[in-house]
Amino acid sequence: MNRLRVIALILIILLGALFAYVAEDIPVFGDPNAPPIKSVELFTMEVDQVASLLDQHVVPEKLFKELVKRGFPPPSRVEKIPGIEGEWNGLIKKEEPHYAKDEKYYWIRKERDKLRISRYAFVVRWIEKGLEETAVTNMVTYGLADYRGYDTLGETTVIFTAGVSVILLLRRRSRL
Amino acid sequence: MKEKQGERNVIVETVARVMIPFVQLFALYVIIHGAGGPGGGFQGGVVFASACILYVIAFNLAGGRARFPESGNTIFSSLGLYIYAGIGLLAIIFSSGAAQYLNYGFIPFTSRFEENRALGMDFVEIGIGITVMAITASIFFDLAQKDGNEKEEEEEGSR
Repeated sequence: MNRLRVIALILIILLGALFAYVAEDIPVFGDPNAPPIKSVELFTMEVDQVASLLDQHVVPEKLFKELVKRGFPPPSRVEKIPGIEGEWNGLIKKEEPHYAKDEKYYWIRKERDKLRISRYAFVVRWIEKGLEETAVTNMVTYGLADYRGYDTLGETTVIFTAGVSVILLLRRRSRL
Repeated sequence: MKEKQGERNVIVETVARVMIPFVQLFALYVIIHGAGGPGGGFQGGVVFASACILYVIAFNLAGGRARFPESGNTIFSSLGLYIYAGIGLLAIIFSSGAAQYLNYGFIPFTSRFEENRALGMDFVEIGIGITVMAITASIFFDLAQKDGNEKEEEEEGSR
């Protein structure tokens, strides 16, 4: 028993040290630019001719090849983000019924001599396109019932199962 | 407490009589406004069940059971889930397999795709509301009736 306690203490200390080591990379609480809310950085590359091509709404061949090599969907076109210098949106062709249009997928930023390529989180689409895609003003509801419909179906099933369990445990009669 | 069982409390009964319709109306309001404002099926269903619980607390268990019978309770608790799953299935049926499950836009309620999604969401919220209402009331009745059953069993055992 004592040996188990010592092992547990050592394990806790190790896990604490690991957490302290990792804590630097955890996004700040409520950070609007955290990876699950805004974007995940994919890779960086050198800026040479690429930036001027991006400004002309052309997908540079170098960037295209790099993305395909890494197994990401190939971008169909590039748009400049209005009002911000050195930032672009990469769009991809999405095969989705009714929404067979381009979808904003990559976020390309120029930082000094590096080009940072990130991928937008799914939530960005809910927040920006939710009202026009669903005609519902309440962001929580279209998140809950439409984009995460499976999740809510599961939640309802959990409640149903809880009720059935209580019926089976407490209702000691022949018929339900 | 036993001598008070048959006693009626006029204040509690009158307040409950006035409150219950408004609580039920508020529950329907919360469910219907799930898409437009704050609210939704889960909250509305619980508010609706609380009206039923208020009736039982103010009056008696047998009256509450008579107004919300066990058979209806069992049917309603699965009906809401069937509505939800059925709406999801309708999307596949109407788009003849092109759309995914629960893609409400393809159910032809109206001519516009976005409005269909909004209406689909409303029906789904109603389904959630029915299930949550029935299950909450069912758990309450089962817990409340347990004591009575045990007494019956004890009486049967002593005989």
